[in-house]
Amino acid sequence: MRTDAVLDALARREPVGGTDAAIRLLGALVADVDGQWLSSVSITPST
Amino acid sequence: MPNVTEGCVADAATGVRLATRSDEPDLRELTSLAVKGDRTAIESLLGHLRPMVVRYCRARLGRVSGQYHIADDVAQEVCIAVLSALPRYRDMGRPFASFVFGIASHKVADALRSSVRSAVPTQDLPDGPDEGPGPEETVVRYIEAQHARDLLARLPDTQRELLILRVVSGLSAEETGNVLGMSPGAVRVAQHRALARLRQLAELESIA
Repeated sequence: MRTDAVLDALARREPVGGTDAAIRLLGALVADVDGQWLSSVSITPST
Repeated sequence: MPNVTEGCVADAATGVRLATRSDEPDLRELTSLAVKGDRTAIESLLGHLRPMVVRYCRARLGRVSGQYHIADDVAQEVCIAVLSALPRYRDMGRPFASFVFGIASHKVADALRSSVRSAVPTQDLPDGPDEGPGPEETVVRYIEAQHARDLLARLPDTQRELLILRVVSGLSAEETGNVLGMSPGAVRVAQHRALARLRQLAELESIA
């Protein structure tokens, strides 16, 4: 798969197969960043 | 206070040049309404951008004591700064997202410079069963993610920013290029090199 397509797949949070160490690490980072998602907090000031 | 415009922003810490781009018409319209003070538009605009900002800050700052509180606080600061700057924002034909990531880059740099780490609050106890990954999977994921951060930190600034914006924040090659002041073609070449460099670093570490 071309680099652009692989990165697009990672960006869309789609599973990317293969044994590429760089892709695996980026996938781990994405999973970690997304894994502890916090509820959205409204920051619009009250009137 | 001077008006905030969308021009290029130089990140003092990383040297990354953050340019701006033309955005999707709906987001541009949303930005225009938000600048005029439309509360619904402001909510929608920040709702669209906030997840990307949170991911960017988490990828750059990582966890402290196993939690993302610091990164999430910085992301919140970014959103508040964006909100504060909205009335002074002037559309110069460039995308609002670039302006936002310019602010995010500066806030992250400030946080990285700061060695002060405040007390980290713990999460509330859940009311129900935890549907998330178990402790072992969580630890493995954490270690791999931290390894990724460590290797990304060894990449040239532009390559690191490119991969984080592209993969973690989920921007397209075109969007990433507009944030970094590169053409889409240049982004595709650079991302290929960045990935190759990351792969090389990972392989060198596995041998050592």
